[in-house]
Amino acid sequence: MADREIDQQLVERVQRGDKHAFELLVSKYQRKLGRLISRFVKDSADAEDVTQEAFIKAYRALPGFRGESAFYTWLYRIGINTAKNYLLANKRRPPSSTPFDSNESESFEDASLLREVNTPENELMSKQVVDVVQTSLLQLPEDLRSALTLREIEGLSYEEIAVVMNCPIGTVRSRIFRAREAVAENLRPLLETSKGNRW
Amino acid sequence: MNMEISALMDGELLEDESEKLLDHIGRVDEGRKDWEMYHLIGDVLHQPDHIHCDLSAKVRVRLQDEPVVFAPRKRGGNHKFSAVALSAAASLAAVGMVVWMSQQIGSEAFPQMAMQQNLLHPANVKIQSKSNDYLMAHQEFSPSTDMNGGASYIRMVNYESEGR
Repeated sequence: MADREIDQQLVERVQRGDKHAFELLVSKYQRKLGRLISRFVKDSADAEDVTQEAFIKAYRALPGFRGESAFYTWLYRIGINTAKNYLLANKRRPPSSTPFDSNESESFEDASLLREVNTPENELMSKQVVDVVQTSLLQLPEDLRSALTLREIEGLSYEEIAVVMNCPIGTVRSRIFRAREAVAENLRPLLETSKGNRW
Repeated sequence: MNMEISALMDGELLEDESEKLLDHIGRVDEGRKDWEMYHLIGDVLHQPDHIHCDLSAKVRVRLQDEPVVFAPRKRGGNHKFSAVALSAAASLAAVGMVVWMSQQIGSEAFPQMAMQQNLLHPANVKIQSKSNDYLMAHQEFSPSTDMNGGASYIRMVNYESEGR
């Protein structure tokens, strides 16, 4: 099953009333969408709000999604439109301390409630997460590191990795899993100690 | 189970396997955490400069206030199949109707007529002279004539002009 088909499966689950399936889509695309939105919205806290808002808009619009395009292109389009609306609303906003007035908050209801400025702790946490993942990758046995790198960075399929590494597909599957688990083992203590377990 | 989650996010499971696994991940918290963890690792390897705190918890809170969405179960790729299936069903129905009608007509109307015709034998009956007028008057109802109604009143006439 291709990646797009997995998304389609999750979308159909959401369309049958399964909210948990949408949470899996959020886990999968939150950073990719956040990165895209941060090109429009420079402030990281605002970009985070816009990203949340884009996901909520996508959820509301999902009944109309027919799978004619890939889910992520559809989601990215919503993200870009939400970011543009935010910028337009931001320009009209009077220079006051009030984040949104009643008219401008059409697309951003509750956003101010959930807004959390990127604290130094969060930024430090981000760096630590990146450090742990990169260090863990370097510490992996070469066959595990190669398998995970070929998959995650080069985007090769298991079949292609099997050809490159000259091993059965089942071995590729096992190596990639073991590599992920080894990295995850180092990450879990860090994430579990973070406040509110928001990582 | 974790190995299956790892394979699922790489798109390396069959459709029925992934359906079962998605059920599991939706139900079991540990499965969802592993899904999130593996995606975080992938994102860090892809874009280490843009790693922020997990938004899924915040979105989850907001989703609680959202109504459950429902949509018709349709897949983009099945439209053609549906159209073909519908047209095939319509064609079959049309053919079935024609066959049924022909059977109805064939088994009832035509055989009856055929049976009637088989039953018709030339009667060797002496017709009395006084019956001739009656038969002449009602000859249009005679089964021996193919043409009924006004056809029996058609008469062939001719005449010669005086000049010839």
